[in-house]
Amino acid sequence: MTDQNSFDVLRRDPRAERIIRNRLHPLHDTYINTGAGGELTEVRGPSGLLRKNPHNVGFIGPNGIKRIDRLKGNAAASGKGRRSSAAQETLLPLHQVENPDFYVVVVPDMVGGRLTGQDKDVIGQAHKLAVGIEGNGAVLAVCFGQSKEEHFDTAGVDRLLLLDDDSYEGYCPEQRLAALVQVESAYKPPFWLFPDSVNGGSDLGSRLAARIGERPAAQAWQVDNQTSICRGAAGTIDITRTTPRLLLLAEECADQIDETRHEALPVELGAVPTVIAKLQDQGQVAVDPNAISLAEAEFILAAGNGIHNWDQFHTAASILGATEGASRVAVDDGFMPRVRQVGATGTWVTARVYLAVGISGAIQHMQGIGQCDKVIAINTDAGCDMVKRAALSTIGDSQEILNELMTLVQQFRTQQSEGGDQDAA
Amino acid sequence: MIFEWLHPFLIVTALVLMVIGAVRRVNLWRAGQSDQIDLIAGLMAMPGRYLHDLHDIVERDKYMSKTHAATGGGFVLSAVLIILVHLLGIDSQILAWALMASLALMFVGALFVFKRRLNPPSRISKGPWMRLPKSLLAFACAFFVLTLPAAGVLPEGTGGVLLTLVLTGLIIWGMGELFFGMTWGGPMKHAFAGALHLAFHRRQDRFGAGRSTGLKPVDLSLAHEVGGVLGVAKPTDFKWNQLLGFDACVQCGKCEAVCPAFAAGQPLNPKKLIQDMVVGLAGGTDANYAGSAYPGKDVGNAKGGPNQIITEGLLDPETLWSCTTCRACVEECPMMIEHVDAIVDMRRYLTMEKGQTPNKGAEVLDNIIATDNPNGYAPASRTNWAADQNLPLMRDVKEAEVLFWVSDGAFDMRSQRILRAFVKLMKAANVDFAVLGDEELDCGDVARRLGDDATFQSLATRNLAVLSQYKFSKIVTTDPHAYHCLRNEYNDFGSDALNGVEVLHHTSFLNELVQQGSLKLNSFSGGKVTYHDPCYLGRYNGEYEAPRELLRSMGIEIAEMERSGFRSRCCGGGGGAPVTDIPGERRIADMRMEDVNSTGAELVAVGCQQCTAMLEGVVEPRPQVKDIAEILVDQLAEELH
Amino acid sequence: MQPKQSIAATGNNLKIVSLISVGKHPQSGRVRRADQDSRAVELGMKLLDSGNPTGGDSLVVLHAGDPKEPGLRGYAGMGLNSVQVLELDPAADAVAPLGEYLQQFAPDIVLTGVRAEGGESSGMVPYQLAEKLGWPIVPRVADIISVEAGVAEVLQALPRGQRRSLKIRLPFIASIDSAAQDARQSAYGPASRAMMDIEIVDSSTDQLRENWSEAPAKKRPKRLKVIKAKTAAERFKAATAKSQSEGGKVMQNESAAEQAQAIFDLLLEEGVLR
Repeated sequence: MTDQNSFDVLRRDPRAERIIRNRLHPLHDTYINTGAGGELTEVRGPSGLLRKNPHNVGFIGPNGIKRIDRLKGNAAASGKGRRSSAAQETLLPLHQVENPDFYVVVVPDMVGGRLTGQDKDVIGQAHKLAVGIEGNGAVLAVCFGQSKEEHFDTAGVDRLLLLDDDSYEGYCPEQRLAALVQVESAYKPPFWLFPDSVNGGSDLGSRLAARIGERPAAQAWQVDNQTSICRGAAGTIDITRTTPRLLLLAEECADQIDETRHEALPVELGAVPTVIAKLQDQGQVAVDPNAISLAEAEFILAAGNGIHNWDQFHTAASILGATEGASRVAVDDGFMPRVRQVGATGTWVTARVYLAVGISGAIQHMQGIGQCDKVIAINTDAGCDMVKRAALSTIGDSQEILNELMTLVQQFRTQQSEGGDQDAA
Repeated sequence: MIFEWLHPFLIVTALVLMVIGAVRRVNLWRAGQSDQIDLIAGLMAMPGRYLHDLHDIVERDKYMSKTHAATGGGFVLSAVLIILVHLLGIDSQILAWALMASLALMFVGALFVFKRRLNPPSRISKGPWMRLPKSLLAFACAFFVLTLPAAGVLPEGTGGVLLTLVLTGLIIWGMGELFFGMTWGGPMKHAFAGALHLAFHRRQDRFGAGRSTGLKPVDLSLAHEVGGVLGVAKPTDFKWNQLLGFDACVQCGKCEAVCPAFAAGQPLNPKKLIQDMVVGLAGGTDANYAGSAYPGKDVGNAKGGPNQIITEGLLDPETLWSCTTCRACVEECPMMIEHVDAIVDMRRYLTMEKGQTPNKGAEVLDNIIATDNPNGYAPASRTNWAADQNLPLMRDVKEAEVLFWVSDGAFDMRSQRILRAFVKLMKAANVDFAVLGDEELDCGDVARRLGDDATFQSLATRNLAVLSQYKFSKIVTTDPHAYHCLRNEYNDFGSDALNGVEVLHHTSFLNELVQQGSLKLNSFSGGKVTYHDPCYLGRYNGEYEAPRELLRSMGIEIAEMERSGFRSRCCGGGGGAPVTDIPGERRIADMRMEDVNSTGAELVAVGCQQCTAMLEGVVEPRPQVKDIAEILVDQLAEELH
Repeated sequence: MQPKQSIAATGNNLKIVSLISVGKHPQSGRVRRADQDSRAVELGMKLLDSGNPTGGDSLVVLHAGDPKEPGLRGYAGMGLNSVQVLELDPAADAVAPLGEYLQQFAPDIVLTGVRAEGGESSGMVPYQLAEKLGWPIVPRVADIISVEAGVAEVLQALPRGQRRSLKIRLPFIASIDSAAQDARQSAYGPASRAMMDIEIVDSSTDQLRENWSEAPAKKRPKRLKVIKAKTAAERFKAATAKSQSEGGKVMQNESAAEQAQAIFDLLLEEGVLR
């Protein structure tokens, strides 16, 4: 532990300081003459005079500027250490749990085989709960399906139960439930934690709750060992209640683990009986992004009066995977259907990213995008209202910019698929 | 003349057939719902109404008014005299001469009708209507010749068999059209139904230079009855005098010429709509209709009957939803037919019974029901726009001279600019005013025009309950739609909250302030200005002058559009039309902006936030659009201290 | 989206139950028909319309709670003749009486919303019913495409508008996602006229819930990017760094490629490119 910390934390060396102050100290010369590189800064020249080597004086500061070392070699040494630590991957302290007395079980969503942000929040919550119970507790993550996650350790997983048989592939909540029931009888965990998400966590959590007869806390966002605060009534009220055994946790319920490393030791589960499934997964169905309702879309590519090449616009939308939107004028002119109209007289949108192409931003339109997080404008007029609203505006020919953008996105997609990285949500 | 008995016999036959037809027609009308009308008083008032109210409208077209006075007056007089002279055989040369004079008058009138029909404008119907001037001429000629002996010009018994036969033919033709056709569905039906419509009009207040524009409330108790129907599903669900009104149509097409939806190519033609209602009340198809069709739709496919659902076969619901309720058709109609009432009645059925309000209509209604505003904002955020305005709330002050009705413009950022301008003006004039704040609800205008009278009535009663808690002598609003509801439609709900309260549009109120000298204005120097009359301020409430006077008080000379005042063209924003959004070939707002452009104005002054939104929605470059309050606030003379 | 197909080609008489609850408008908190529940009714009505032409199919719209609740009228306005109500205290536990009713009625398909708009809204009711009845449950259904020979083909809504196709044996419970077809408009006339078929049932009070406290939802602060500063300089930098939201970046003179790159980077950073 200590040797890692010495890289990060500035430590004074009182002895070295003392020697530097004391010119009569036998070691004074060696301390005072050692520069940043370890070479001598003062050399007796051929004429017998002491000469300073300016290149060895001082050290390079964090901004790349040379600094005179007022502390003499003392700080220079640590400066050197710091610089090297920045380049080096920080190795976090390892949190070890030997022979745990109990397990807090987390069932992460593992969208695309990786832990999602919410999964990590839930693991963070699990540790908070584990600390609150007497004894030595470990966080056990039960993961279904093929895993691509490489950082279970830094996410805070003490024990990992990986169930990646073929029988757990696809949508098979009944089979997964059987496994969870097995975990329940094998470990009797004091807490079951699920992310309350549309990616399966809330489904599986509810199934388990119904099976083991627990009344879960859904949309819980502030949880300790005694009380939980949950969002109820479609997010309009906060319910304060005693913390149940099974929790469906909202996003950002707790801080993620970021200061420790965990063992992520694999554990085994006895044979899980195969369930005769009443549900049969027939696989995903291709869906047109334009079938998504405008109000729910998270990424909207919207067209206005400034669009002249409509074919290109539609292609761009499909390549970007964006839902199409339009200004009133574009709809009135018949280029887009009325359901695509954004604005006070059309649909009020809540997209995270709103990419407005050729829309100058009539006040009614601006009202409709009031709740959008990031607005990007592509426009020819730098003075229009949309540019004033946008987080990023590009002034120029929309056709050209869209073309470049499509190329970039296509490149990105090919790279992604080469990496075998295609997330299936 | 030979066959002395023949012509009286023919006259009697025609008259008997006419009476039979009249009874049949009256029975068709009586299939409608009852309406409380004083029949005797109506009949007594009818001639006066014809001479004043109806004639005032016809008088807008001088040519037609003179022609009609000659033809119609001549015919009525002739008909009476024919009965006296030829049927009762009163032997009086004076009567005979009088008959000949009136026939001559009718003949001259009919000649002008004939001339008009030589090259008819597209708005008027053809078909049997093209025959009418000839029938009139035939009638006048035949009886003129027939009367000659009685007048002593020709000796009795002149003429041979041939002349008699020709005369008889002409008489049959003339009387067939004018007596028989009058009650059996010919073009002359308009005279018979029209006269009775004047007597039994559903809106008796319209006569005598009155105004009646508020919609009639639906009896919501029908919603709890088994078999009850809200709104109009079948022709017989109309009030009987509405059915009578449809029959009064002369198919002159004045409504068609002014209808903004028709001009925009939306599937609505008010004339065809009324004719379809006639098809509905009498049963049959529209195959004989000889006027312009609904844009984009063919004639001949509509079928209906008195007890058949109108929107299943007779009328496409899109036709009903195209209407902006601008009332231009009603204003122009010489027969004083109430198109808008009929359209809203049928919309009520679609919304309250079928749940078929198109496009965003259902969503808007749901929002109004759940949040008391059409866009579904949190009701508590109604006063957010005025966070920096420090407005006195009625809840706190309880009493104020003026209650400022903010309207749903409070939620719209563009309208908020108008509201702020108006508040600034009131503060400058030291008006003692207060607002309702969160206690104010949507006025119910959109809900009502979309046919949801239940929601309108709920909003109205709740608004009235709030209003009744406070004391004020005036309500002022910047929204003509709210103005109309408060002034004309809130009186039906048995509340005395508005008794003795003057409801004013902000332009009227500001005009008062300017005329009193409470507001000092600099003269305006921003180029040419035109004024767009909002329908709900002008045609619905007759306020044409106050906004103009206000503009003039800033030294503005208004460059009037060709269609202004009572003929103003709608912006396309009324009646929930932007919500139901029926596609057409053009946008109504664009057409209105063309009207503005043709005056060369650089600024169009408006008195309605809906009009502002619609006109500003026209693609630039276009003239600026500003509410009068916004123009005034810029010209406000800063007082020196 | 899907072609209209014969739902019950085999002519089996489908018994469908749509469970409804009282909704709450998110802005005004006013009582209304719940969004997902009304979609469940809509789907039930669609199955009925496109199903057995001889009319052997039936749809029961079922509520457990107070029959006088005005929110129920919103469902009736969709064109229902009647709403079946198991009368009990709205605060009581509805699962037991609903389970008993369903056991007796033995429907083929039970449709519910995913989560209620009032109360706990944990979304547990369909799961508890499924557990009680021993039926499978499909959560977040967007559409039921066909029902043939006792097997239904169902489209499940996945995030970002994706769909998964599932086959499921009757009888089953489906919770209807917000991605399902919008409910038809609720009309005032039918809403007022519909009958409430009331059946009084025994229920036990929800004791667990009595100890809970409820308050209007507090706005949750967004998690800040925590900077784990180890030195004073880092802390200083973190505290004084210009906040990102200040003004937008305008690229005016860059080439189209550079501009596109900037947009691309932002899209990537926001995680909308997948």
